Amino acid sequence: MKTIKDRVAKMSFLGLLLALVTTSFYAPSAMAHGEKSQAAFMRMRTIIWYDLDWSSDSVAVNEKVNIDGKFHVFAGWPETVELPDIAFLNIGIPGPVFIRSESYIGGRIVPRSVSLKLGSDYEFSVVLTARRPGDWHVHTMMNVKGGGPVIGPGKWVNVTGSMSQFRNPITTLTGKTVDIETFNEGTIWAWHGLWFAVGLAWMAYFCKSPVFLPRWIMAHSGRRNELITDADKKMTIAFMAGTVVLVLFSYGSANSTYPITIPLQGGVLRDIPALPDQRGNVHVKVNGATYRVPGRAMSMDLTIHNGSDTAVQLCEFQAGAIRFLDSGVCEDETLYPENVLAPDGLSSSDNSAIGPDETKTITVTAQDASWEIERMSDIIYDPDSRFGAIIWFNGEDGSRQSAILNEPLIPVFM
Amino acid sequence: MSSTQSAVRSHAEAVQVSRTIDYLGLFILFFVILGGFHVHAMLTMGDWDFWSDWKDRRLWVTVTPIMLVTFPAAVQAIVWEHFRIGFGATLCCISLVLGEWINRYFNFWGWTYFPINIVFPAILTPGAILLDGVLILTNSYLATAVFGATAFALVFYPCNWVIIAGLHMPVEYHGILMSIADISGYHYVRTGTPEYIRMIEKGTLRTFGKDVAPVSAFFSAFVCIMIYFIWHFIGRWYGTTKFLQQT
Ligand SMILES: [Cu+2]
Repeated sequence: MKTIKDRVAKMSFLGLLLALVTTSFYAPSAMAHGEKSQAAFMRMRTIIWYDLDWSSDSVAVNEKVNIDGKFHVFAGWPETVELPDIAFLNIGIPGPVFIRSESYIGGRIVPRSVSLKLGSDYEFSVVLTARRPGDWHVHTMMNVKGGGPVIGPGKWVNVTGSMSQFRNPITTLTGKTVDIETFNEGTIWAWHGLWFAVGLAWMAYFCKSPVFLPRWIMAHSGRRNELITDADKKMTIAFMAGTVVLVLFSYGSANSTYPITIPLQGGVLRDIPALPDQRGNVHVKVNGATYRVPGRAMSMDLTIHNGSDTAVQLCEFQAGAIRFLDSGVCEDETLYPENVLAPDGLSSSDNSAIGPDETKTITVTAQDASWEIERMSDIIYDPDSRFGAIIWFNGEDGSRQSAILNEPLIPVFM
Repeated sequence: MSSTQSAVRSHAEAVQVSRTIDYLGLFILFFVILGGFHVHAMLTMGDWDFWSDWKDRRLWVTVTPIMLVTFPAAVQAIVWEHFRIGFGATLCCISLVLGEWINRYFNFWGWTYFPINIVFPAILTPGAILLDGVLILTNSYLATAVFGATAFALVFYPCNWVIIAGLHMPVEYHGILMSIADISGYHYVRTGTPEYIRMIEKGTLRTFGKDVAPVSAFFSAFVCIMIYFIWHFIGRWYGTTKFLQQT
């Protein structure tokens, strides 16, 4: 008796453990800092985020943060990533710590997936409403179907207050205003609870009499059919009829409470407007580029032709999310995340202004520990060792012009 | 106590042992089924059950009963054959729903803070009772497959409508039409589940216009009949005892 009990207790413990393991088997991903684990060529040669602006880095619950900017869809898109025919403007945060109140590409609201064209630039903006207090790393992010997420730079945003103050009211076309943070939860709990109780009652009815041993003995001695009595059958009919009646009642009551409903909405937006040309008339030819591993420096030999009608000066080089600035020419005023900003990371053999129609050949070096820290230097171990970047020039007339680079990269190990 | 002696000495004690075994057996069965069925459910129809903005009139209605008639069929084959126990399907379904609730409440809400009204599971008890009932009344697996599995699929959408109807109210959201469920899915960011992964309202039932839910349910019922048979035999095979001859 005791041994049986012990064994059964052990088995039940095992069952309980199994149940716990399997129920905690899946939790939606609370992603943060995935950016560094992404292949460097993906960050350099897919979606290039620029002109980013976070409206604030500290808000209270229910307050909004806007992330605005532009992105360039790299024309030299790598072969290993599916083309962005279907892409979704997401936001990289650890779960719903903010809600995404609005998001736009080219001025269109995009709760749907979109189709992006290679070589084009788009304007985007995401409006987040703070929901849960804490320090959260907020990344720009584009999901590409068949290519996975392309994660842009992340900035820490501090949220203060308490989640219990969070409200999310929505007014429907039928004139009801509901707080979708909690709407319908009572109905869900009540009906789930009721049906769970009905299921338990159904089982309890049959468990009143012995369940396993005597029934097994009878079933295996040819007396199976005596085990279901007429009373059991009557009860079965009652339960089945009750089930049907209850289902019809719940269906009817839902229809009378919500007479007007629509199906779920989805579909791809294929005609998102791109920005007009963002580059300008400065043309850059790369004569050669090397990455010096010990010095964490990328050097490029560039021939620059200024085809615009104002003198320009090289000010910035951006690879992936990392921005290398020439502090003598420009500095960042956008609260750009510090870990991917090298305010003094760009130097060149000659950075005097290039006049209209002038051509100049210079050596440019982008040097910073962030090559290593952000694991961008892994580019030299990529199967397709090319780099992609935007290079920016400031015009004397206050304009900004840029050029896209897409060239092979040769590592130097000594 | 030697191993040849009986563990019980009187009738009263035998009854008591039998009852203890009942309770512990039910307890173990409940949680073992919960574990197995839950993994099966997550791997086969996970996202449809996880998110309210996946619970559509076409795919959710079709996929869920097909994937969930499986364990009930197998468990019925075992417990009806060997014990004439008539609640096999209900046991499976309420243990699954309990497991799903534990997962949704503690992981989705408690850990990642998705509101319950986005991550609630589907109601399954009505279909399970009808499936059990047909087996008890007809004592025929064929009839249970044909009528029971059909009822299991057909009752699925109507019995769940009461918890999703409110989430299908129309909203004009910054110039486009969205349901409350769509807005929830958009607001409460899932970085790992971008919009294009969402499989809803897809298929070739366009000619049926807006009455796609009944058509999907009947299609699901048809497939459920076949799935019921397959899993009945899996259960049967699982429930056999074979002795190896010692040579
Ligand atoms: Cu991060």
